[in-house]
Amino acid sequence: MSEDAVAAVDLGRGLTLPNPVGLASGTAGYGFELEQLIDINRLGALYTKGTTVHPREGNPPPRVAETGGGMLNSIGLQNPGIDAVAATHAPRWKDWAIRVIVNIAGGSVEEYVHCVTVLEPVAEVAGIELNISCPNIAQGLDFGRDPVAAARLVAAVRAVTERCVIVKLSPNVTDIAAVARAVEDAGADAVSAVNTYIGKKIHRASGRSVLPLGTGGLSGPAIQPLALAAVAAVCDSVHIPVIGVGGIVDAASARDYLVVGARAVQVGTATFVNPETALQVLDGLRG
Amino acid sequence: MTADLRRASLETGEVLVVERLGGGILELVARLPHIAATAQPGSFVQLRCGSGTTPLLRRPFSVAWTQGDTCGFVFEAVGAGTRLLADLKPGDPLDSLGPLGHGFSVVDTGPVVCVSGGLGCAPFPLLINELRRRGVEDILVLNGARTATRLYPAERFARPAVPVVAEATDDGTRGHHGAVTDLLAQALQSNPSALYACGPNPMLGAVMRTLLESGAELPPTLEASLEAPMGCGFGTCLGCALPMLGEDGTPVWRLCCTDGPVMPMREVDWEGLSALPGADVA
Repeated sequence: MSEDAVAAVDLGRGLTLPNPVGLASGTAGYGFELEQLIDINRLGALYTKGTTVHPREGNPPPRVAETGGGMLNSIGLQNPGIDAVAATHAPRWKDWAIRVIVNIAGGSVEEYVHCVTVLEPVAEVAGIELNISCPNIAQGLDFGRDPVAAARLVAAVRAVTERCVIVKLSPNVTDIAAVARAVEDAGADAVSAVNTYIGKKIHRASGRSVLPLGTGGLSGPAIQPLALAAVAAVCDSVHIPVIGVGGIVDAASARDYLVVGARAVQVGTATFVNPETALQVLDGLRG
Repeated sequence: MTADLRRASLETGEVLVVERLGGGILELVARLPHIAATAQPGSFVQLRCGSGTTPLLRRPFSVAWTQGDTCGFVFEAVGAGTRLLADLKPGDPLDSLGPLGHGFSVVDTGPVVCVSGGLGCAPFPLLINELRRRGVEDILVLNGARTATRLYPAERFARPAVPVVAEATDDGTRGHHGAVTDLLAQALQSNPSALYACGPNPMLGAVMRTLLESGAELPPTLEASLEAPMGCGFGTCLGCALPMLGEDGTPVWRLCCTDGPVMPMREVDWEGLSALPGADVA
């Protein structure tokens, strides 16, 4: 690949990412930690932690468990709530070159619409990523598993914002392409795929689940081939831009997503291991 | 509040030795100039175990001590990650991220009591060194373990001069026959200005219970270094939640990696902590 691979990406409605490499939701907070560790402004986009109407304390520990080539998480969308993000966090993004896309989660259409509405006057927000795929909260997957419900949600959000709306899809479905087509038809500007896979780990000394809620979301290099198949299926089914995410650890594993048709990528769990991974992916795609 | 990570950096150093101390306790010594120069008492470092994708995540270790451009880490080979670290040879690269975490509030006047259980010895040499640099000489270490071979050697808690170390073993093979907390009552008679503790959660809970039941005034500085299963170590994954008490005494989660690992013992939700399942280290 070359400069073409890292050229700016137009996601629609005025949102152009300076380059295709982003930090995935849930692995970069709101940017304030990684800002101290790496030059995040070289990256294309930061997709924030999933944010809800009200602050959430998150799930009881243990919240993470390591698996072969991956990790399970059950964070439970711990976040400060949309008002704090709009009032306290967003002003700190003012001078950032990286585009900050706020990931929004909710239990009802009204909650998503409320969050999007709160962000409407906030200039520092570059776009919205609708999280319809969190496996770790009640109702987290209700929209992601049902094309009709997903479309209804997107249409409702579409009605209240002119901002670029990306829909983050769940892989925990029979036909991810059907959900992708439904949200495209309902007015989504782009889709990102995939969120984590539902997984389970047993504490072998006790026979009980390691994670207190029984299951968690699997991420890391173990899921890359699975996610790549899902993203390829989505790319074959929609005309809007697709953002590939799942198990990227280097430029080669990121390039796979571009090869199957994704326009941009997100680096997630690999950032935990090496905060510079996304920058290395960017440099590797360029070189 | 955003964690202060300005000192943290990726650094690939060099293994100097992995020393077998007996009882399965290992001391990894590595040349890591950045960590050695910037670690504070209670800081930890995220070490990469191997270079593959399994085990995937780094493992957190307290910085046990620093000397020149080297530092030491005390651990035991209990899982896939620590087994890889145990097999490191002199000259092997060591991939580190740190220093991380909120460390001890180091007092300027003694007496000071340090309570260590098993591998909970790890953060104390660096802490004791800093205490002595500040002129605090009256330092008592209460060191407990299951059996004599698993007691961190007294002379390693500080170099060159050794603080007073009182030992306890569950099986009576050295020192007091019983729990390290049995030694607390006498230690408290000196009215310590600070008590620092590190060890398994049940032991830390027992320390707090013993302090409260003693009726003695609690030391003004009362801190414990805690641990939790950790994803990133720098505050973004939110995986290492610990049960703490908020300002109004209600339970809240705090992050071991950035709010801790050193926490005020008065603010720990000891009931919640004791209810957590044991570590998964297959």
